[in-house]
Amino acid sequence: MEKIIFTNVLGSFVFDENLRFIEKGEEKALMNKHKARESTIKQSKIILSNFKSKEYFEEFYKKNLVITKKGLKNSVKEDLLVTQTISLIKEQTRVINTLVKRLREWYEIYNPEFSKSVHDHESFVKLIIKKDKKELLKEIKIDEKNTMGADLEKRDLEPMMELAKEMEYLFKAKEKQTEYLEDLMKRTCPNVNEIAGAVIGAELINLAGSLKKLAEMPSSTIQLLGAEKALFRHMRTGAKVPKHGILIQHPLMAKTKKEIHGKVARALADKISIAAKVDYFKGKFVADKLKKMLEEKFS
Amino acid sequence: MKEEQTNYIGVYQKRKGGRRIFYTKSFAPGKDVYGETTFKINNIEYREWDAHKSKLSSAMLKGISQTGIKEDSVVLYLGAASGTTVSHISDILGDKGFIFALDFAPRVVRDLVFVCEDRKNIAPILADANKPESYVKNVSQADIIYQDIAQKNQVDIFLKNCDLFLKKDGIAMLCIKARSINVAENPKKIFNEVRDELRKRIKILAYCELFPFQKDHCFFVCKKERFK
Repeated sequence: MEKIIFTNVLGSFVFDENLRFIEKGEEKALMNKHKARESTIKQSKIILSNFKSKEYFEEFYKKNLVITKKGLKNSVKEDLLVTQTISLIKEQTRVINTLVKRLREWYEIYNPEFSKSVHDHESFVKLIIKKDKKELLKEIKIDEKNTMGADLEKRDLEPMMELAKEMEYLFKAKEKQTEYLEDLMKRTCPNVNEIAGAVIGAELINLAGSLKKLAEMPSSTIQLLGAEKALFRHMRTGAKVPKHGILIQHPLMAKTKKEIHGKVARALADKISIAAKVDYFKGKFVADKLKKMLEEKFS
Repeated sequence: MKEEQTNYIGVYQKRKGGRRIFYTKSFAPGKDVYGETTFKINNIEYREWDAHKSKLSSAMLKGISQTGIKEDSVVLYLGAASGTTVSHISDILGDKGFIFALDFAPRVVRDLVFVCEDRKNIAPILADANKPESYVKNVSQADIIYQDIAQKNQVDIFLKNCDLFLKKDGIAMLCIKARSINVAENPKKIFNEVRDELRKRIKILAYCELFPFQKDHCFFVCKKERFK
């Protein structure tokens, strides 16, 4: 008579050919004792009804909780760190922009001419911390008597300068995070990093969800990552097809003419998709060859 | 004050400005799951069931005839996410029934585990609903299957799971998100296609669209008899 064994989180169970329950125990011991064969899917379907009873619920609960916790622990991979870091950098950029705008607005009461003459936020913040109004005005060659800025007392200036110092720290923090991201990308996906650059590469991984998902994507999808809104608008209403998503930020795009941006995006996406596949399966470093091909094509 | 019964077992309702609000008896008093309002009647804690956050609640408000969930049901919940709807089903079941809550994304299962730790009738499972063979070992047969996953082949997944895990004459509920089947198509057309596909294999008991609570969603209640 043939016997059937079914193993699940609760243990191993042996059934006879009519799927009646015989014995519970350890898998190997039962295998040897009964010379049982593993159940097919069709048999499992019927066997599963045996476990739908209150006595097993507590054990199901405990075992599944342990397994799930373990599974969650093992699900953390390095590309998750990439996603977190790039999200942080993006958020930092947003916060810095908002705060710098506020700082400039505030500072322009005191010294509007200087604020208008320096466009870069970071050097603006550094300069107003280092020098006072007199020196700054001298630098842009404006007579102190002709300024539109009001004279503020020291106690009114201090909070403004406090904000400027905080901003300086934020700029430094962002720089540090970017350095870390570059290092991380070199470790986890050297090929994507070489072709796309650390920030764009990380952003692509973020948009795809993970390095695995990016590696599974066709290059045409990678080309349009970050242009989802335009793509779905096109699919719904038949508007113009987008040519590139976040790949527009790539340095190669800046070098080439606008007319061939579609072509460049397509070629870039193609090489990035190859690089992602190589990175996911931990292959050799091939990015230098791929990059050379790109540069030859568009020089 | 006394709780007002509804047609659904374990679900109560109150009226607020002409609108109905469902609520359930809390199985883990003192702890809220997703920031819902709680209140007490005769020292028993109840939790409001937000129809905008839970598709089952909105389907009940739209008037599906039954959910099939009883106090001693075993529920297989596919696409549990952070445990919003799961926690209310857990309320209905109490300590007589059991839920297997399945999800694929580690991020949301992390939240789900915290819900499960307060509620001993939910077992969290980290697995892909598209591959039923991979979690045969973690679950038992179910009286009820509830599926709410936004995948392109969600109907296929639903039928696969019903075939393997649902008992005969068990109830299966399916929530369809038209936008994840095809973004460009008219949702009404997709719903009709899904209905035709389901009808070939399973009996449909009730159907409704979830507007205005959810956009482009519809809800099916099916019964597994003469399953092909």
